[in-house]
Amino acid sequence: MNAFKFLLTDRVGPFSGFRWPVGEWVEAHDGRACGAGVHACAPADLPFWLLDELWEVELREPVARGRHKLVARGGRLVRRIEAWDGEAGEDFTVACIERVRGLAVRRPEAAGHLADLGNWAPHVRPAAVASLAARAAEAVEGRDGYDAERAAQADWLAGRLGLEPTA
Amino acid sequence: MSEAAELTCAELVELVTEYLEGALTGEELERFEEHLVYCGPCAVHVEQMRETIRTAGALREEDLDPALADELLAAFRGWRHGAA
Repeated sequence: MNAFKFLLTDRVGPFSGFRWPVGEWVEAHDGRACGAGVHACAPADLPFWLLDELWEVELREPVARGRHKLVARGGRLVRRIEAWDGEAGEDFTVACIERVRGLAVRRPEAAGHLADLGNWAPHVRPAAVASLAARAAEAVEGRDGYDAERAAQADWLAGRLGLEPTA
Repeated sequence: MSEAAELTCAELVELVTEYLEGALTGEELERFEEHLVYCGPCAVHVEQMRETIRTAGALREEDLDPALADELLAAFRGWRHGAA
């Protein structure tokens, strides 16, 4: 199956430090990437792992589901999703702020979170903005609010980046 | 561990040693690494801990300058007395 994978600049894994080749199969058991498996995202998982580069990845079956990720025995990078760039990251940040602004209109107790988000957003990465927005929703509307905000982030990314749902 | 959706920075700090020893698994590991993606200061903290362990692990007793060893021992003795 095909899925998606965020990496640091130059295709480097954020936790393994492994520089992924393009098109070459990487197996979990060979110890290059991560011994626990090759990690990837379904579209719904993307907001939790926002990094510099987004790639489409082909995964070797069987594929297990983690909390917010897919885990496979092997995988290979297929193509970079070029639409995920600095401009998309900035637009994603704006979309997160706008949703929290809407929350603050419905629920005035979210105003403080909106102010915090506005102060922090220019100085942090999109992943941090995504987390702040989700935690603002959680603070006001509980876990359902958190999940709804994360789902809205995933929908925004899939729409903006033109991603097809994974099988 | 809190019931909140995301790990807090304080919770992450408590788990750093286990993470660096490869002792975290499953959901705990995933929540830890999720936090590192969005929290720059915690990512820096983990890297500093990793580097400290790497550096300290490469030191042997005979690598230490005797004068520095005496100074450290004196400081530790003072620390213990001060804490008592």
